[in-house]
Amino acid sequence: MQKSFIAQNPSVLWFLACLGVFTLGVTILSEATGTGVISTSFVKTLGKVLCLCLVAIAMDVVWGYCGILSLGHFAFFGIGGYAVGMWLMYARTEAIVIENLASRTIPPTPVEVNEAIATQIFGVVGSSDFPLIWAFSHSLTLQMLLVVLVPGLLALVFGWLAFRARVTGVYLSILTQAMTLALALYLFQNDSGLRGNNGLSGLQNIPGFEAVPQSVISMGFFWASALALALGYVMFARVLSGKMGSVIRAIRDDEPRVRFLGYHVESYKLFIFTLTAVVAGIAGALYYPQAGIINPAEIVPIASIYLAVWVAIGGRGRLYGAVIGTAFVSLLSSWFTGGGAPAVDLGFYTIQWTEWWLVLLGTSFVAVTLFFPGGIGRVFDKFARKSS
Amino acid sequence: MSTLLELSGVSVSFDGFKAINNLAFQISEPEMRAIIGPNGAGKTTFMDIVTGKTKPDEGRVLWGEKSVNLIGKSESQIAQDGIGRKFQKPTVFEAQTVRENLAMALKNPRGPLDVLFYRKTKQGAARIEALAEEINLTEQLARTAGELSHGQKQWLEIGMLLAQDPRLLLVDEPAAGMSPAEREKTTQILVRAAQTRAVVVVEHDMEFVRRLNCKVTVLHEGAVLAEGSIDHVTQNPEVIDVYLGR
Repeated sequence: MQKSFIAQNPSVLWFLACLGVFTLGVTILSEATGTGVISTSFVKTLGKVLCLCLVAIAMDVVWGYCGILSLGHFAFFGIGGYAVGMWLMYARTEAIVIENLASRTIPPTPVEVNEAIATQIFGVVGSSDFPLIWAFSHSLTLQMLLVVLVPGLLALVFGWLAFRARVTGVYLSILTQAMTLALALYLFQNDSGLRGNNGLSGLQNIPGFEAVPQSVISMGFFWASALALALGYVMFARVLSGKMGSVIRAIRDDEPRVRFLGYHVESYKLFIFTLTAVVAGIAGALYYPQAGIINPAEIVPIASIYLAVWVAIGGRGRLYGAVIGTAFVSLLSSWFTGGGAPAVDLGFYTIQWTEWWLVLLGTSFVAVTLFFPGGIGRVFDKFARKSS
Repeated sequence: MSTLLELSGVSVSFDGFKAINNLAFQISEPEMRAIIGPNGAGKTTFMDIVTGKTKPDEGRVLWGEKSVNLIGKSESQIAQDGIGRKFQKPTVFEAQTVRENLAMALKNPRGPLDVLFYRKTKQGAARIEALAEEINLTEQLARTAGELSHGQKQWLEIGMLLAQDPRLLLVDEPAAGMSPAEREKTTQILVRAAQTRAVVVVEHDMEFVRRLNCKVTVLHEGAVLAEGSIDHVTQNPEVIDVYLGR
């Protein structure tokens, strides 16, 4: 009598098929493994979009399904990026420093090497010592653990305090936004230990793979991003199917009623908030090596608001909606802001899309919210239902 | 019959207004009890206190054989202890199917991990079928709860209450907005439930209360004004004065 998970959720299979075809197509057309129609920089853009889709489905779960409009999930994304960036920067600088010092007649002591790395990394903020938070930066394994642990613990503590106090709705959104802003402002400081507004850079150079061309590295990250998105999608679809999904959607629709049914609502919210924060961190850890640079400007609250806009345009409460919305809007955004869109000459005024894109995006957001609450994803709803 | 729930000396005030004033109340198991009273008599506040939504300023709320104090416990803990509540306005999860609504209410472990790894069982499915039968919604199991009529939503909520398998049901105006035939059915459901559990029905409609054929408690200004059979309380001059006479 048990229908299998896939049979109950045919949209998961469809999604995986589409993602697979897309990944294969990009691979065939890329410079590294195929015809070269798609440039390496565009492969990176597509890989980054896949990471954004991953953080967007996390946002959809926490907002669209559980009703928590978090304006902090891009901060978790950024933390993941910083965590992996620290190792990338340390390991690469270490390699350069050792190479430079190798030409000296007296071999350098480990202390000298360490000081030289610190000076290289932190000279820009006027320091030559490693801050405490870089204690694990020499180890890829430990930094990878931090990718998961730091967003997870931050979400756990923050969520516990906020949900226990029964902060909900717009007040919770403001609280998460305050957390994001506080984090960004802290990181902007030079003595934050993460190079202030310079952020971490050169992340596209992967230590140990110096000889490998960027076209191949970008392909690797593209595949990794596609795999992460696929796994994330299946995991969230699994969490949301069955009784857990039922309870979570019930919390979104009528929180007090769920309490009187005997469910400890706060634990459920905390579970979802933390799980999605961890996924956001992983998405960030895959995104920033493709972007090459991370700085505090990336995680200011507006980034999390964009995330909400993508999910809303794609259609809240459907995972594929978040993916479609994010892919569509972020690619369109890079087309418009990258000067791809031709300027419109109205005679008396010329619309430059680099400036007007945000106006267009804002208007679309308002229009979707008011007139098409189902977003773009709504088009696919019938498709997803019919086959079930 | 043993005392299941006992309130004594319970008072609560909101901004100086005494919503509940030195209230004493007892109910046994099994028992059916109707609570009547004019608007502002404290009926809803009484339910809020028992279910943990409102913390009283003073008094005791004792539950079960071990006389556990319920004050200070969370809503979800009290619900797990065996107190179910039906709201005045039918509150079902309209975006979900009748089956999902009932499945959520079924008595099962309530922790997030229990729910995450919950597997549907034959017993669970059979229980849902039986409940649907009881509340006349067998045909509607696969429908979205939002599509149900007002009366059907009321039944679904009663069904969810029964699914929790509580020892005490608090039911707020179950017959509001129902047709005579629906009222009849609702009466049957409640009377049957009261054979094995304690059921407290808050109701305005005297005719409905009369049909429940049970002990009646009249609340007025946050305290018990009279208690007894429906005929007994309706002949009480004070009751006529504050409530029925109006």
